[in-house]
Amino acid sequence: MAISSDPRQVKQICFDRIDIPHVNTLKVAREHGAYEFLPTVLKDFDTARIIDEVKTSGLRGRGGAGFPTGLKWSFVPRNTGKPTYLLCNADEGEPGTFKDRDIMRFDPHLLIEGMIMAGFALGVKDAYIYVRGEFLHEAQVMNAAIDEAYAANLLGDDILGSGYSMNLTVHRGAGAYICGEETALIESLEGKPGRPRFKPPFPAVEGFYGCPTVVNNVETLATVPAILKFGGDWHASIGIPNNTGCKIFSVSGHVNKPGNYEVPMGTSLKTLIEDYCGGLQHGSVPKVVIPGGSSTPWLTAEHYDTPLTYDAMMKAGSMLGSGAIIVMDETADVVALSRRLAHFYAHESCGQCTPCREGTGWLKRIMNRVESGQGTEEDIQVLGDAATHMAGRTICALADGAAAPILSMLEHFPEEVRARLVEKAA
Amino acid sequence: MTSLFINDQEVEVTPGTSILEACRENGVDVPYFCYHPELSVAANCRMCLVEIEGWKKPAASCCTPVSEGMKVKTATESLEKDRQMVMEYLLINHPLDCPVCDQGGGCKLQDYAIEHGASKGRYAEPKRAVVNYDLGPFVNTCMTRCIHCTRCVRFADEVAGTGDIGILNRSDHMTINGIVEEALESELSGNLPDICPVGALLDKPSLDVSRPWEMTHHNSTCTQCPNGCDIQIESRGDEIMRIQPVEGSPEPWICDRGRYVYDSFRSDHRILEPKVRRDGKLESADWGEAFSRTSELLKGKKVGILFSPYWSVEGQTSIRLMRDALFPDARVAYDLHRRDMRAFAFEEGLSMTTAQIADADQVVVLGCDLRQRLPLLMQRLRKRGNAGKPVSRIGAMNYRTNMDISNDAIIRPRDWPAVIARAMEQVAQMGKTAAGFDAWVGAVDGRHEAGKLLADALMSDSCALLVGEEVRGHADAAALIYGLDLLMRACGHAEADNDGRNLIPEGMNTQVLSATFGDVRVSAGELFAAASAGELDALILVGSDPVGDGLFPSAAKAALARVPLVQVGAVSGQISEYAAVQLPAAAYAEIEGTFVNMEGRIRVAGNPIKSLGQERPLWKVMMRMVQVMGGEVPVVNLDELRQATRERMPALAGAWDASEQDSILVAPGRNKGNELLPVSVSDSFELDVVSRYSLYREGMWARASDLLSEAGNIHAMDDVLVHPDTLAKAGLSAGEHTVHTFLGEASYYIGVRDDVSPGVLFVAKRGVGGDLSDVSAASIKGGSQ
Repeated sequence: MAISSDPRQVKQICFDRIDIPHVNTLKVAREHGAYEFLPTVLKDFDTARIIDEVKTSGLRGRGGAGFPTGLKWSFVPRNTGKPTYLLCNADEGEPGTFKDRDIMRFDPHLLIEGMIMAGFALGVKDAYIYVRGEFLHEAQVMNAAIDEAYAANLLGDDILGSGYSMNLTVHRGAGAYICGEETALIESLEGKPGRPRFKPPFPAVEGFYGCPTVVNNVETLATVPAILKFGGDWHASIGIPNNTGCKIFSVSGHVNKPGNYEVPMGTSLKTLIEDYCGGLQHGSVPKVVIPGGSSTPWLTAEHYDTPLTYDAMMKAGSMLGSGAIIVMDETADVVALSRRLAHFYAHESCGQCTPCREGTGWLKRIMNRVESGQGTEEDIQVLGDAATHMAGRTICALADGAAAPILSMLEHFPEEVRARLVEKAA
Repeated sequence: MTSLFINDQEVEVTPGTSILEACRENGVDVPYFCYHPELSVAANCRMCLVEIEGWKKPAASCCTPVSEGMKVKTATESLEKDRQMVMEYLLINHPLDCPVCDQGGGCKLQDYAIEHGASKGRYAEPKRAVVNYDLGPFVNTCMTRCIHCTRCVRFADEVAGTGDIGILNRSDHMTINGIVEEALESELSGNLPDICPVGALLDKPSLDVSRPWEMTHHNSTCTQCPNGCDIQIESRGDEIMRIQPVEGSPEPWICDRGRYVYDSFRSDHRILEPKVRRDGKLESADWGEAFSRTSELLKGKKVGILFSPYWSVEGQTSIRLMRDALFPDARVAYDLHRRDMRAFAFEEGLSMTTAQIADADQVVVLGCDLRQRLPLLMQRLRKRGNAGKPVSRIGAMNYRTNMDISNDAIIRPRDWPAVIARAMEQVAQMGKTAAGFDAWVGAVDGRHEAGKLLADALMSDSCALLVGEEVRGHADAAALIYGLDLLMRACGHAEADNDGRNLIPEGMNTQVLSATFGDVRVSAGELFAAASAGELDALILVGSDPVGDGLFPSAAKAALARVPLVQVGAVSGQISEYAAVQLPAAAYAEIEGTFVNMEGRIRVAGNPIKSLGQERPLWKVMMRMVQVMGGEVPVVNLDELRQATRERMPALAGAWDASEQDSILVAPGRNKGNELLPVSVSDSFELDVVSRYSLYREGMWARASDLLSEAGNIHAMDDVLVHPDTLAKAGLSAGEHTVHTFLGEASYYIGVRDDVSPGVLFVAKRGVGGDLSDVSAASIKGGSQ
């Protein structure tokens, strides 16, 4: 398979071994190249070289924000006298996203290997995987793989005789969406209610238990072994500049073959949907595409050709986010869609910040009325105001996510909303 | 310094300051709810948003640190719209019941609604209602009004240290909840209504009776403990409604004792008119009759004088003037909690300010229940602990502090010499010694390992020693304090600019008292013994209650069975049943007077509340007494009295000059040359008795307050406590047992608690423990009587 063979053959990075039966076991994983390059990294690489390779690779965080991973790692202060922690964000709660789940349940050793390499680069003694509470099976698979790794001296003290030691622990969340936000994740892992912290201080400086902490997404960490093995330049050659490598897209909604697809960055939205996902269920162009998870602003048919890159999505007015593409064809009811998302965010707001705590509930209640034909013209004004003044005014970005569907609905489909108002409906 | 621009004005602030603090320092108004200068930053209300040039989004100014050259705008059209929306969000679920809410008129939400809010809310959906919960006698809840700023949660975590308020649920189901059984655990709980920006938490005792704009404010000094906090008494006509802390004073909070004692000002326990005892009953009299009876009892007699340290400095001077004019041989006692009246190497009072103590490298508390005794100093230590700085403690019990004590040792009071000797040996090994070490160590037989804890702390650059009542009230206190003095000298903590010797006093003004009464003072016990032995003809008691408080209730009762008592004061107390005459003197809040707190800080109260009856300032009562008994009246007005005070205490020279007041710190006395060695006690009692000061019960004012009494009952422990091993050793378990002391035998319910040092009989409730207050040693016998 590719990670153990010629890099030019590599079509997929994180999903390279995913179809191999029983690759979740150490034996099979090793037969297909897992941990093959790890001794070389532990022996010949050092912090600077690893961070350089990752910087060169152009890898950007796959969890949603798209922050350059190498740069993030370089922010971690050295010699603070405190331990440095590596946390893997496997909370995968963004509606529409289901990519990390597949990495964990099918190829857990890829993630473990990536974490050992990242941990080695950052001088980490203790690393944690914060797994979404609902992912019971995934947590079990991860734990079984970790047990095997410990038994094979791939984790624990003096890994493979290199002198480097790292412990890896799986922690299951309890079902809160907000714990996917890195500082809420840290709070939750510390045993507190998951409520985001304000920044600064940033986790790189004061994170888990006040110590320097790196939080990376599963997919990000799972990309690291390939980067170190084939070199940052190799990774940078995939995709397009500033948007390098492959990305897993979780496609759901009105497509014929929904699922996870790992494709090179820069593939267009249309190509993904038509060539990989078997096209739309109805019609030739989608009515709404939510490109990066439910928090990202909607795209419409006019952006169907947009390349799947961080930059192009930004230019189109949305975000690549976690790569969760929710496709709605012409049969979709945008008011119902928006109402459902408003419910989700009202339920998941942590309640700290005034605009989000009160605003999400307000939006939900108005949307309930609007969907059931009880809305008024004033509601449209209020929806716009309440959503606009939540976004960007709170500690974390949940409020932005809650505002996005409302604002997108009002921007792209005002006539559909007005058609539901009380006067019109009557 | 960091310079930045706030609304185009260049300002300079300390690096790391938040934008909000920079604005406050420079008089720029930024609205906020959740920010509080004494609490950690939560950044959740989002009211303090500002715009920063080059930033895409508005920033919360409370949690954004300043940076060099930053350009901040606090008032733009867009921010005004944001604030209007925050107000609209907040008012979604806030009931508009301002007309029936006590907070109305002093409410941030109300003020900002006027200033920043729209005239009409657009929310048309159902509103939320939230269940209230019971926080005990001091704090009322109306949680539907809550705006979730979490100030109360942070207060409970960081200031009170009790963590008994928390957040449940999330989104708009989020509620603030008290996690309490009967009442909040904190002795600072009365501050919660003050920090609540809305009417969710309100002062329960003053609930629904008054409005902020009806109040008259009287700045005064609290004399309920030696901390002497600045207070503001709020009255409506004759009624006292509340006591509040004063903004900008050294302590941002006041304790529940100082706050809720106000109901005793208007209680039935007040002495509001002269009284004389006729046929065994105290009955009203006029001043003339009361004074002539006083004269009969006292004139030409041998008297002993006992007074409370809580009178103003002027009042205390007048007691001295009265004594000198009428009873030049009389001995005087003012401390009910000190057995050993030999001069202490370092006299009562702090040589550091509480802020300096909080900043010291090491703090060691010796034998003090600081949380009960000085709740505000405890709060400072808690804050220090939260910042990771050490606090060590040695004492007879692991007193609850609501903080993590870094090093802790429990000992019996008889172990103090062994503790100090152990510390002396250790520091001497490190080459630190003082003349007198060898003799002191030589006088002590044993060594106690708790001394290591003390010696370790003394090795730091600055060490604040807080010596408490277990040492001060020790029978051999002067020798122990001399030993501690030697230790501090040896380790360089007794220099003029680095003096860590702090002896926590019983009451206010102690620096003045030890200087002005040092030549005539005795212990209260000695005074009572003299009366019982027939050496005195009468006792004058000026405002304290030796039957209800202190270490000598049995001795006081024995003495008063023999000699008549003239009681001068503001509150009757349990002692009043012995009084032959009662003369009313005005309370601390009802006079113009000067107070010196334990740090030596001077406060002059000048705006008294109205007195209710015939009570007069103490100095006038004293001078009248001199007059009726034919003495020469030494002073006739307050100025002359202050002059007389100045002569006796030159350190107070600038006290009445407004420009100097704040710069004066009256230093506690130092006595050199008394090389006192500890003496070992040998008696047949195997247990040391330690009695506990309770802030809800100790002092006649506190007992006259129904509010504090109620809280005292809620927070009470078993009357008498011992370590389980102590009972097990005698083959006993918790229950009714006979306690044998030098006073005889009595039966008590004895509870067990791991916190108490083995070998100690801990009297948790003085007064109830009755006769046990007098003794320092006891034995337990099996079975009930």
